[in-house]
Amino acid sequence: MDQEQRFLGVLGSSPFRISMVYSIAFALGAAALLGAVYFAVSQVVDGSTDNLIEAEVQGLREQVLVLSRSDFIELVEQRSQDQDVRGAVYLMVDPQLRPVAGNVPAWPKIAADQGKWIQFKVSVPFGDETREHEMRAQRFPLPGGYRMLVGHDVQERQDVKNLMMRGLIAAVVLTMLLGLGGGFWMGRRILAQAGAISAVATQIMRGDLSQRLPVRDAEDEINTLAREINGMLDKIEQLTLGMRTVLDSAAHDLRTPLNRLQATAEAGMRQLAPASPERRVLERVTTEVDHMRSTLDALLRIALAETGTVAREAVDLSELVASMVDLYAPVSEERGIRLESSVIPGVQVQGSRQLLAQALANLLDNAIKFTPERGHIRVFLRQAGSGPEVIVEDDGPGIPADKREIVLGRRVRLDQARKLPGSGLGLSLVAAVTKLHGARLVLDDAGPGLRVALKF
Amino acid sequence: MHILIVEDDQVARDYLAKALREAGHTVDVADNGLEGLHLASSVALDIAIVDRMLPKLDGLALVQSLRATGRKTPVLILSALGEVDDRITGLRAGGDDYLTKPYHMSELLARVDALARRGDSGNSEANTKLKLADLELDRMTRRVTRGGKKIELTAREFQLLEFMMRHSGQVVTRTMLLEGVWDYHFDPQTNVIDVHISRLRQAIDKDFDKPLLHTVRGAGYSLREDE
Repeated sequence: MDQEQRFLGVLGSSPFRISMVYSIAFALGAAALLGAVYFAVSQVVDGSTDNLIEAEVQGLREQVLVLSRSDFIELVEQRSQDQDVRGAVYLMVDPQLRPVAGNVPAWPKIAADQGKWIQFKVSVPFGDETREHEMRAQRFPLPGGYRMLVGHDVQERQDVKNLMMRGLIAAVVLTMLLGLGGGFWMGRRILAQAGAISAVATQIMRGDLSQRLPVRDAEDEINTLAREINGMLDKIEQLTLGMRTVLDSAAHDLRTPLNRLQATAEAGMRQLAPASPERRVLERVTTEVDHMRSTLDALLRIALAETGTVAREAVDLSELVASMVDLYAPVSEERGIRLESSVIPGVQVQGSRQLLAQALANLLDNAIKFTPERGHIRVFLRQAGSGPEVIVEDDGPGIPADKREIVLGRRVRLDQARKLPGSGLGLSLVAAVTKLHGARLVLDDAGPGLRVALKF
Repeated sequence: MHILIVEDDQVARDYLAKALREAGHTVDVADNGLEGLHLASSVALDIAIVDRMLPKLDGLALVQSLRATGRKTPVLILSALGEVDDRITGLRAGGDDYLTKPYHMSELLARVDALARRGDSGNSEANTKLKLADLELDRMTRRVTRGGKKIELTAREFQLLEFMMRHSGQVVTRTMLLEGVWDYHFDPQTNVIDVHISRLRQAIDKDFDKPLLHTVRGAGYSLREDE
């Protein structure tokens, strides 16, 4: 199966197609050239024997007028013996078609209405056996009801023509075979190279930027292209690394003072009585640190996802969706919301399990936040036309069609959400994570409510 | 317990040392990686708390060097980086647990406690039967009984209880539960873990006089026998 596919792949490759077109063109060219040669040679060979016969017929026609029958018979006998039987042939018959003179054993059985030229076969000795030879001849009547046949053995010329025809066919077939074979070989070579390149490209797209395309020690276009792409990858890797370094130092420079703030506040709280107003102030400080931390976490995760600098692995999406539903089921039930799910098993994607979980958590957090009591949330993992899709549907207020694009931007909170807790980064994180996984994020009307689809 | 803190940020280091000493531990401190590695290799430690970005020797390199010399001292890595997969690299380098800054001291103390007691409690990984007071959990038959009475639990409640029992007597935070039971590392906006715990509490404590599952204010939960 695999081999068959590879074979078909080669047949579909561009070098094979190109060489197929070329070999057909060359074969047609060869056929035309050799055909012309064949035609010309036949003309010359046929023409010369025909002229020979015409001249002989002319001579005999003149002789029969001046010679007596017995002299004419003698002449015919003489001419027949002069020639090897494979050369000129003669036959004179009486009105009953009995041979009188000549070197052909019998008058050929030929329909009377045939034209000036006739062709027939005669057995001639060939070593120990006999061979049928093709003869070409003209007939003409003699006085007294006698008839004369003058012709020539054309077997040799037929042999030459046959040989030429076979050579012509062989040349065309050989041209085609060489062309197709060469094309197949080139196609396989190119496909092997293209296959190696696309295998590496897949790994690179999965986030392994350290991979490079294989380069052979040759100066052809593919190798040049591969070298240039590798140069580009070096650049991208450098940029990504730089981006990661910037992110890491930004994270470090924000987390370190936040940590100090938290430590200072906590240290202060330890020395204060539980209900003192000063302690309550410090408690508010730590609450704000928590908020800043979760906003910072969200921003960093968005940045990581957007720059694609996250390690990727095989993620069992079925397990992930099921366990997220399982994680959120009790809390939604407590709020009087029914969380229903339908998850097909065995769906795998390449990506970051933690980021996908965070994205799904954001969607579920949102759905729970906006769904009224006795509402429903439905979570699906299903196989759509192009690939798996995760859908989170609620029957909350939804998002108006004209605002759906906007909410994916950073820190957008629609009016109705202002009184609810949250950083406003939830959906932009979902958008970034979706993009990181090469998926599409689609917001839709669930009638009523919001339907969010992650189409992988 | 003897704990080493390797942290270059002085405010964080001082508070950490103070809190750990107040909790009754012996504390050594180092403000750079080299000194940290030197201390970690020469002193008999119960736990090392190592910041990830350190002068002179990087925190990860410190842990790797320590592991290369065959030391199995539990290490808690503190990180101020971007997280997500930094956690994985940290754990791969030989760290045993990973905490991102800013952290609550209660979270850190709970994790230090869990690390220190890993393996030495009666309810270790290897045991198929976990026991606390009259509560018993059999990992093989997936049967839970309290006072001989069978308790019906969902698969997830069972996992949750198993995790709590393995950490019985310790404080277990919400993030520890999310990591340990669900293998997720994020802060849910809604109180998802609390609801799971209250369901588990319903199942194991409702019909009994002495509650086993306690809420530790400002920290998390604890499964223990006494008040």
